[in-house]
Amino acid sequence: MKVRDRYDRWAAAGASACFVVFDDPALVRRTMLRGLDDLPFPVLVDRDRESYARWGLARAPWWKIWLDPNVYKVYGRLLRAGERLSVGGVDVLQLGGDFIVGPDLRITYSRPQQRDDRPPAGELLHHAREAGHDHD
Amino acid sequence: MPSPPRPGDPVPDLTLPDLDGHVTSLRDLAGRPVLVSFLRHAG
Repeated sequence: MKVRDRYDRWAAAGASACFVVFDDPALVRRTMLRGLDDLPFPVLVDRDRESYARWGLARAPWWKIWLDPNVYKVYGRLLRAGERLSVGGVDVLQLGGDFIVGPDLRITYSRPQQRDDRPPAGELLHHAREAGHDHD
Repeated sequence: MPSPPRPGDPVPDLTLPDLDGHVTSLRDLAGRPVLVSFLRHAG
């Protein structure tokens, strides 16, 4: 995941970004944030996944994940990076989602995941710009 | 579990510690559009 690339495009559009993870912060730093020492955006940690639940983000049925070849690519990357895969560690069934919040703290775009999918960055940028213009 | 928020809904609370343990709220970022991206597992 190219977190820095995503954020730079956001800043250029006059928007901000906030990422939420549920894994151990040390694991997050070693994997998705590897090489990013000076983060320009908050990365929040929800170990109990209470915020995931509050935002309606569920765990996927097993077959939506385990029949998805992308999952095996992720596991391969983790193993090559020296991570141990164990029960109680990485939970591949937890789904995420992307939301755009307008300046008035109302949702302007909602895309909860149904499987291991993400909207294109261009689609998110379009909605972020619209949210800013609607507020002008 | 509630349904995910839809366009027009007020934002659910989002107040959590960051990677260094400092508590941050989504409301701290109010005033311009914010992408809130809940990520799946690390990796």
